[in-house]
Amino acid sequence: MDGKNIKLRLGKSYGFQWLIYILAFACLLPLLAILFYIVRAGITKINWHFLVNIPKPVGESGGGIANALVGSIIIILSASVIAVPIGIMAGVYLSENRRSKLAYWVRLCTDILQGVPSIVVGIVAYFWLVRPWDLGPIHHKGGFSALSGSAALAMMMLPIIIRSTEETLKLLPDSLKEAALALGMPFHRVIFKVIVPVGISGILSGVMLSIARITGETAPLLFTAFGNPYLSVNIGKPMQSLPLLIFNYATSPYTDWLNLAWGASLVLLLWVLFLNIFTKVITRKWKVQL
Amino acid sequence: MESTIIKSRNFNASFGTNHVVKNVNIDIPRNHIIAVMGPSGCGKTTYLRCINRMHELIPGASSEGEMKLNEEDVYQMHPIFVRLKIGMVFQRPNPFPNLSIYDNVIAGYKLNGIKLPKAERDEIVERSLTKVALWKEVKDSLNKKGSFLSGGQQQRLCIARTVAMEPEVILFDEPTSALDPISTSTVEELFTELKANYTLIIVTHNMQQAARVSDKTAFFFLGELVEYDETKTMFTNPKDQRTQNYITGRFS
Amino acid sequence: MAQIETELQLLKTEAINMWTLVNSQLNKARQAFITFDKDLAREVVLKEKRVNGSELKIDRDCENIFALYCPVAIDLRFLLAVLKINSNLERIGDIAEGIAKYIIDTDSPFSDELLKVTRILPMYEESVNMLLDTQDAFEKEDTILARSVFKKDDFLDNVNRSSHKVLEEYIKNHPEETSQALWILSTIRKLERVGDQAKNIAEEIIFYLEAKVLKHKGKFA
Repeated sequence: MDGKNIKLRLGKSYGFQWLIYILAFACLLPLLAILFYIVRAGITKINWHFLVNIPKPVGESGGGIANALVGSIIIILSASVIAVPIGIMAGVYLSENRRSKLAYWVRLCTDILQGVPSIVVGIVAYFWLVRPWDLGPIHHKGGFSALSGSAALAMMMLPIIIRSTEETLKLLPDSLKEAALALGMPFHRVIFKVIVPVGISGILSGVMLSIARITGETAPLLFTAFGNPYLSVNIGKPMQSLPLLIFNYATSPYTDWLNLAWGASLVLLLWVLFLNIFTKVITRKWKVQL
Repeated sequence: MESTIIKSRNFNASFGTNHVVKNVNIDIPRNHIIAVMGPSGCGKTTYLRCINRMHELIPGASSEGEMKLNEEDVYQMHPIFVRLKIGMVFQRPNPFPNLSIYDNVIAGYKLNGIKLPKAERDEIVERSLTKVALWKEVKDSLNKKGSFLSGGQQQRLCIARTVAMEPEVILFDEPTSALDPISTSTVEELFTELKANYTLIIVTHNMQQAARVSDKTAFFFLGELVEYDETKTMFTNPKDQRTQNYITGRFS
Repeated sequence: MAQIETELQLLKTEAINMWTLVNSQLNKARQAFITFDKDLAREVVLKEKRVNGSELKIDRDCENIFALYCPVAIDLRFLLAVLKINSNLERIGDIAEGIAKYIIDTDSPFSDELLKVTRILPMYEESVNMLLDTQDAFEKEDTILARSVFKKDDFLDNVNRSSHKVLEEYIKNHPEETSQALWILSTIRKLERVGDQAKNIAEEIIFYLEAKVLKHKGKFA
């Protein structure tokens, strides 16, 4: 081993170390750029007025995103109400039945569903829930509605919730279940009173992640919730949401509407950011030390 | 006249085609401590789990033969009732990590949806913790989670949880193999006290423990019950050569 | 082989060595007795130290095995038997030394008639045989041989019981051999104890091999 060889190898190692540091930092750059740009563009547009008013017709100044805010909240809440129970139950089923045939197919379909493009999900919801159809005694009137939008979003939430529930519960030791069973607990109580409470932190983080995912989804809502210039709380009728508003107003020629779009973008960004941070904090706080 | 609390006749258990417990006939007397020992894979743990019907929870597991608790066949009863009468303590202490010590002891009632008045609950908790010599140590921290307890204390908490349900029989699956020697001896002291009110069946790898704590010992080998006798006799003059080879450590 | 097996093997060898030693002591004393060889007798007295040393070592080794290996069943019985046999052998060693000391203290050899009338020589031979039999029984784990030792003891008891009358008669007729006669009486008593010790050893061997306790039960079990 001569000195020159060692120097070369050390040099290479040092160089690679720095390359890794630089590339890791480079990952931060897009996020920082987006944050910076949007904050700068949108911060001046946000005020109380902005948050509680609906958009004014073209030409009038002022206006706000109240209908989009309320709409987003209602649509996401409805989507959660649909997706969370189904997702958790499916996750519980998968973690309890590792090897059954049904479990195999459920897992496969979940994985496939995860990869389906969001616009395709939207189209499917359009065909099922928006177009009128007749099935003998059942007559579906059709029409754009917040509910159909929620259904589409729920379909996108499912794979995330199912997977994270399954993974969380799989990590729990068998001894927990055994202890509960040995105390004479029927199976459903073992799951809902012991297993799920202990794994609640992981399950909840899965739910939060799925909400964060769909908060900004636009494509599925394009032909389901459709959008609404007025504030509405009727889930059977079209409803506005933040991404839809941004989509529509950002490409319009009116400066008023452009301003609204910037402000809405910032609100959306902050919402997603807050949701992610909140998830992390809650998960750590509620994590049960096994 | 001692009565028999658990009786097995021609009892067999399998995992699919793997026949692990072969034709076991045994009478377990009330208020005794029975040790069950044998080399790894001899079927002792499987047999134990058959007593309170935990064995059948494993997919592919099956059993046949008679297993009677007080003359009632355990396999004709609802498994929930069986497990309320026959409790189990496991190898690794497994208190519920999300519940406080108080809630852990009362877990058998609370999580089963059995509502009790607070006074009764308090009484059960105090009584159970006293029985396992844990009351004085934890009575001021009943609301804390059990994670600060040592291994031996956690195991005693699990025993308290089982005892709170007032079973007739308590099964122990290698209860001290995960504990240090001092914790082991505190748990072993418990056995002699628990004997007065319960029947204990202890599966153990530790022969000296079997010799120390039990009244009778059963030796399992390759799925069969080879010898079942008074512990004193088993360890001074066993009848079967296989038993002798095992306890003198002659297995290569 | 498990460690405990090795230790028990070593202990067995040590016990057999002690047996051989005590046997040779007893035999040498007998030789000295017959040929009236005071030098041989002194050898026996000197060698007694080795017998004591051997006893101490076997005791210590047993203690170690108990402490370290927690022996059970046949191993436990083996150790308990070896402990007792150890002290029995040591006492036989003491007896051999005692007989040798008698030889050293006597002035003149014993007359043939005295020896014949007391039957002390066959008694001595039988006691040596009993000891040899126990050694064989121990080494070969033969309980039948061990049991045969009990019968041999009958002969020793017989000689011992009749010795009082016989010697009383003899002293009346040969007053000049009174001193010798008294030595012979003491030796007979000592040999009878050798027989008892050998019987105890046989009982311990049967306990170790069959887990049967024959102590204090009578001769036939």
